[in-house]
Amino acid sequence: MEMAVESDIFRSHVADADDDGTLHVTAQDFSIFYGSNEAVREVTLGIPAGQVTAIIGPSGCGKSTFLRAINRMNDLIPGCRAAGKLCFDGEHIYGSQVDVVALRRRVGMVFQKPNPFPKSVFDNVAYGPRIHGLRSRGKLAQVVERSLVRAALWEEVKDRLAQNALGLSGGQQQRLCIARALAVDPEILLMDEPTSALDPRSTGRIEDLIGELRGTYTIIIVTHNMQQAARVSDYTAFLYEGELIEFGRTKQIFTNPQEKRTEDYITGRFG
Amino acid sequence: MQLGTRKLLDRAFSGLGICSILLLAAALLIILAPMAGRGWRAFLFRGTVEYRRMMLERFQRGDREAIEAEEAQAAKARQGAFDILAAYEKEVAALGFLERRTRQDDLEKVRDCMRDLLGPLPGEERPVLPRDQYGQTRWDRAKAKLDRLLLVETYDYSDPTKMGVKVMVPRVDRFKGTALEPLFTTVPEHLEAMMLPRVEFYWRFLFDVSHDAHFFGGVWPEMLGTIYLTVGAMLFAVPMGVVAAIYLVEFAHEGRVVSILRTFISTLAGVPSIVFGLFGLAFFINTLGVSGSKSVLAGSLTLALLVLPTVIRAAEEAIRAVPQTYKEAALSLGASRWRTVVTVMLPAALPGILTGIVISMGRAAGETAPIIFTAAVSVGKPLGLGETLSQPTPALPWNIYNLCSEHAEVNEIRHVQYGMVLTLVLLVLFLNAAAIILRARISKKLRG
Amino acid sequence: MSQAELSLTDPLGRPRQSLLLSKRATRAKQVASLAGRSVLFLITSSSVLAVLFIFYYIAQDALPFFRLRGAGEFFTSSEWYPSAEPASFGSLSMFFGSGIVTLGASLVAVPLGVAAAVCLSDVLPFGVRQLAKPVIEMLAAIPSVAYGFFALVVFAPLLQERGGAMLEVAAYVIGGPLAFLAAVVLADLTSSRAPEKARWAGRIVAFLLFGGAMAFGLVALGGMLRGLPIDSGTNALNASIILGIMALPTVVSVSEDALQAAGRDLREGSYALGATRAETILRVVIPASASGICAAVILGVMRAVGETMVVWMASGNAAQIPSPWYDLTAPVRTLTATIAGDMGEADHVTGSARYHVLFAMALSLLAISFVLNLASEGATRRARRKLGH
Repeated sequence: MEMAVESDIFRSHVADADDDGTLHVTAQDFSIFYGSNEAVREVTLGIPAGQVTAIIGPSGCGKSTFLRAINRMNDLIPGCRAAGKLCFDGEHIYGSQVDVVALRRRVGMVFQKPNPFPKSVFDNVAYGPRIHGLRSRGKLAQVVERSLVRAALWEEVKDRLAQNALGLSGGQQQRLCIARALAVDPEILLMDEPTSALDPRSTGRIEDLIGELRGTYTIIIVTHNMQQAARVSDYTAFLYEGELIEFGRTKQIFTNPQEKRTEDYITGRFG
Repeated sequence: MQLGTRKLLDRAFSGLGICSILLLAAALLIILAPMAGRGWRAFLFRGTVEYRRMMLERFQRGDREAIEAEEAQAAKARQGAFDILAAYEKEVAALGFLERRTRQDDLEKVRDCMRDLLGPLPGEERPVLPRDQYGQTRWDRAKAKLDRLLLVETYDYSDPTKMGVKVMVPRVDRFKGTALEPLFTTVPEHLEAMMLPRVEFYWRFLFDVSHDAHFFGGVWPEMLGTIYLTVGAMLFAVPMGVVAAIYLVEFAHEGRVVSILRTFISTLAGVPSIVFGLFGLAFFINTLGVSGSKSVLAGSLTLALLVLPTVIRAAEEAIRAVPQTYKEAALSLGASRWRTVVTVMLPAALPGILTGIVISMGRAAGETAPIIFTAAVSVGKPLGLGETLSQPTPALPWNIYNLCSEHAEVNEIRHVQYGMVLTLVLLVLFLNAAAIILRARISKKLRG
Repeated sequence: MSQAELSLTDPLGRPRQSLLLSKRATRAKQVASLAGRSVLFLITSSSVLAVLFIFYYIAQDALPFFRLRGAGEFFTSSEWYPSAEPASFGSLSMFFGSGIVTLGASLVAVPLGVAAAVCLSDVLPFGVRQLAKPVIEMLAAIPSVAYGFFALVVFAPLLQERGGAMLEVAAYVIGGPLAFLAAVVLADLTSSRAPEKARWAGRIVAFLLFGGAMAFGLVALGGMLRGLPIDSGTNALNASIILGIMALPTVVSVSEDALQAAGRDLREGSYALGATRAETILRVVIPASASGICAAVILGVMRAVGETMVVWMASGNAAQIPSPWYDLTAPVRTLTATIAGDMGEADHVTGSARYHVLFAMALSLLAISFVLNLASEGATRRARRKLGH
């Protein structure tokens, strides 16, 4: 029954229905309020596992808000509350007995502006595993190396692990943040406009990295750059003023959108 | 108003502002200059043979043989003066009763001056007070005492319309024609040979104990007391202050309760320092009984209360200044709120917190009023660490006051007063400068 | 969705871990979090406790005095003879002493401090400002006993020997430029009524007239000051000047913050209308930051009222109200100096009125500083509201 509901959600937004992938995150009539202002309006969608899903839309349309709801970073904002259902791997995210710490371990996040800690490269990547209990120096070194390799940064920093992370370039810092997020072995990686503060070359590298990471991780990326969404993602959701207008395979959204508003946005008539 | 006048007024206005800044700078210079200009004389001065003798006897410092040789040399130079005194004594003894009385008074005054200058006269037994056991140890004081010998203070009442005017007349006029007359030429002539002044660098001024109420020696007990009090105050104030700052920034909901807390913290900051002292006496000593009477512990607790608001404010500012992104990154990795504060926010706020701590240390070191009733005594030995819990201590601020106002011989120990003030001011300014440098250093490290 | 229906592996094939905590674990977490916050709250409220305790214990030791002697004598009589038989504890002269010294200090600190703050915020270029700031910080860092030392050992003899001459010079230095400017302004204002052709001539004549009058007045003032008899260098004037210098850094830094908070937009609006810098500052910026400057002044006053060492060493310590009351060259005694000075003798007889009267003075000081603190907080709040925060 659960699968049927999810397929329904899928089917209502997708042209061809031959997907049978499982859904990692599902939202059903999910809303987010800042005080009395409804920033996300009754969104219903399903994020497929192991794929890259992009969320696009004009600024202020609620895409970052929706993204930050998945790892409950919105809890930091006073007056922010959620309504409806948002499930991660079948469990309610906003349930009363949810362990937020466990959630955030399984759902990692990369921010718009690279924000490495003012510590060494090693300590940055090791921060996550350390707080989750890993103490052995040897195991930590292994985890750090593995994460930096996965983030395509190892070759560049392997000789300067003890140096301050703030000395890296912008692109390197962002890859470091990705490595840091990967170090706790999450299942989902949320990326909030990860390349908007970077130069084109670093942007390209990170987009390549996203391609390498898919399959191992489910990636949800919020971007205002449509070309990036088209390059990088398998599925795309278009949000406008808090509402989900359309959701489907990226190729289909960009070549043959079902909704007029989607078409207007993609062709640049507004936004 | 015409444009020309408006412009003139504008210039004048700017000039006024600049003048006030210049006045401030001038005030700072005027206040610091005497301390610097005269304070160094406690460390670097021309010391006489009496000084070296005193150092040998009181502090066991110096080459015994060399000093004894010098003393012999000085004694030879002084012999002439002593001979004149002896001759005059004989002369006076031969006088009639009335004249002898007045002459003996005058002679005793001269002998007092000589004792002040050279120490106990030959044949006299050793005085009790250390300050009388030696002549002048400093060449500048010796010259001042010489003036006292050569000149007498009297009042000139010749003008009936005015108040009596103080005049200095040469003492030798009283002794014209007597056997004492040559004294007033021979002493100035041979003073250098009698005193053998030499440049002395008394850096140990900071580390020596004092003898006979600061007549001799240094200010180590005061330095140590100040260090104990300052460190003790910070030991209490820093944990409480940093924790309070963490609470106010991270865990408190902005609202009624927090604003009441803040009002109280600023009220605490406004309490006069003498009231802190009274409170320390009434509460820590009389009520809680942390110690029987004055002690370093009670003083530290009182000083801690004094600097607590400053520490809280500095720590709060520093923690608030940490970019929110660090907090978000840590939380998104699954750190709990407390963990985030301890492992990310506090380390990043460290420069600001440290600066606040060091500046508060400067404040605690310089405060006098809180320790008058709770910890400070005028004379005392340097305390051992264990004694700090129950014993009072001398401290630089209190002893500066004491030496200027309540000391018996305020004018004799001017150099010690200036030396103490210079030490205290340098200590405080050094702490402030260290805070600023520390902040710049660590900031650079955090900024990569 | 029930948990039984979830498979053992998550969509990526990894072993599944539940997000949910057991009821007990959740409760435990809530309790721990609450406990932690309570501990933090308690530690933070230690400052509240401290203030309450201070009030309580000072009041506790002050009340016996009022019970023994009542309040009337304390506040209204200036007969302070605590060791006489019978003793009298009239402290009016001490209240007066504190007041006159604070007033004098404000006269020094407020004009100088606000002028310096204006200069720092609006006149000086950035580089010079960075040089000026350490001067202010050093003035603030010097311990009060060092100021007291200076006042007693250096300044007092100077005042005694050359006080009159110094005051005369000060009068010329301050009054001269002010008189000059006033003459220019007055000349300008009066001559603007004259017809166009005669305006320049009128200006010069008016300037000479006003300038001459002011110069004459200034010289007379100078002469009077020079002849001022100063019997003792430790008096209200000495303490006022030094206290003013001590309060300056507070006034300067808080005023500067207030002036900065007014913002660039405000200033740019005024400049765009053609106002000079002086006019912008005087007519726009200062009025906008008035509450903040008020707070700065109150804080400076608090500093002066609460200071002990300088007044103990340099105010002369005579428990009397000088006649006339504005005679600053007379010695006075403040509340703080009395507490510091008299405790040595009073301590021997704990329980006597002599001991408790000092606590009564402390209580008065506490009350005064509490009221001043509330006033400054109110001013700060008003300042913030005015600027729209």
